Amino acid sequence: MNTTDPRIHQVLDGELSIDALPAELRHALESVSAAADLLVAPVPGPSLESRIMAEVRRPASSYLRRVASWLATPHAITFRVRPVWSLAFAAAAAAFTLFFARDAGPQLGEHEGIAQFVGRFPDARSVHVVGTFNDWRPGTIALEDLDHDGVWTATVVLPTGTYEYMFVVDGERWVPDHLADRLVADDFGRENSVVIVRPVHR
Amino acid sequence: MRLGAVLALLAAPLTAQSVQSRLEGRIPTDAVPVVDSLVQVALHEGLPSEPLVQKALEGGAKQVPGPRIVAAVRASLGQLRDARDLLVRAGDQPPVRAGEVTTVAWALRRKLPPSTVERVVAQLPHPPRGPAIHAIADLVAHDFDPDSAAGLIIDAVHDGLQRDRLLDVSTAALHEVQRGRTRDEAITVVRQQLPNVPAPPKPERGTVTRARRPDTPTPP
Repeated sequence: MNTTDPRIHQVLDGELSIDALPAELRHALESVSAAADLLVAPVPGPSLESRIMAEVRRPASSYLRRVASWLATPHAITFRVRPVWSLAFAAAAAAFTLFFARDAGPQLGEHEGIAQFVGRFPDARSVHVVGTFNDWRPGTIALEDLDHDGVWTATVVLPTGTYEYMFVVDGERWVPDHLADRLVADDFGRENSVVIVRPVHR
Repeated sequence: MRLGAVLALLAAPLTAQSVQSRLEGRIPTDAVPVVDSLVQVALHEGLPSEPLVQKALEGGAKQVPGPRIVAAVRASLGQLRDARDLLVRAGDQPPVRAGEVTTVAWALRRKLPPSTVERVVAQLPHPPRGPAIHAIADLVAHDFDPDSAAGLIIDAVHDGLQRDRLLDVSTAALHEVQRGRTRDEAITVVRQQLPNVPAPPKPERGTVTRARRPDTPTPP
């Protein structure tokens, strides 16, 4: 419903002089005139057509830019997995972790290294290595011959340092390690082998 | 230094007790007090005692008679004294470090000429010198000239190689001999490579995995 006074319409149509209006209607007339001026004012910026054409003419963005844009844009990702497969995957992951945790071996300290002892004793029933690393106490470090080829081995974690040692075959026969690079007289008429254990973490 | 002497005096009774307990049952009974007294002498003189204990335990494990064990321990004490005197003569300020005394004593046992050891100690004034001594001893044990071997290792130290890397220098020289070079040629070749001698391969994962700790490891 139009609530504008008809005299304002007459003034706008030129049928009535503005001086014929009372003061309150003159104020309303000024407001209506200002609104009309805004409606007829030109729209700032380019026209719709020019904006569309500018978008059409713009060169296509590069592949990398499109990938980056895709990566930066949120996407909804939906998995459809049967519960039995989820459980199987979880079980496999747990088994994998347990396997490697069990086989990880000893954690070596900064001042620890690994000594490998190897000897060929084809007819031996047991071979132990004794030396300054175990107070020359027989029976504490046994060598193994798992494939029964006569080659006995032991891999031992020791503090870094220089050690003298010998093999004890069948609990009674003392034999130096002939594969050792170093030998030193033992002051008892025989020779000890010498191993230098270097730190694993270098 | 005074603090160290006081601590050594306080620790002496405990050490004596622990030495006796380590020896009892491991060596003939009549040898225990003699070996123990030699250990006390070593402690009193500021010498390392562990090599003496190890020598006694070694003799006991090898079923050596008591008198021979005592003689070997006494000889070891003499070697430690010689080593300490050599270190002091070469310029180390007393009290010399136990580790250095043990290393030099070990080098003398490996037939390194004392003059060579003295030269190394004098030219490498900063301990630890153990790897350098071991590297030279390795070369001398393979018939390298002691002076040439010492010169190579000292050059390696001056080129920036330290500690266990010095063992790689002697290993590289030995490899050159295995390839057919003379010992002099090997030293020349390796000297030209310094400081870039090959490092030993790290132990494989399988090796580490198989490794086990002895029940009661005791550092020497």
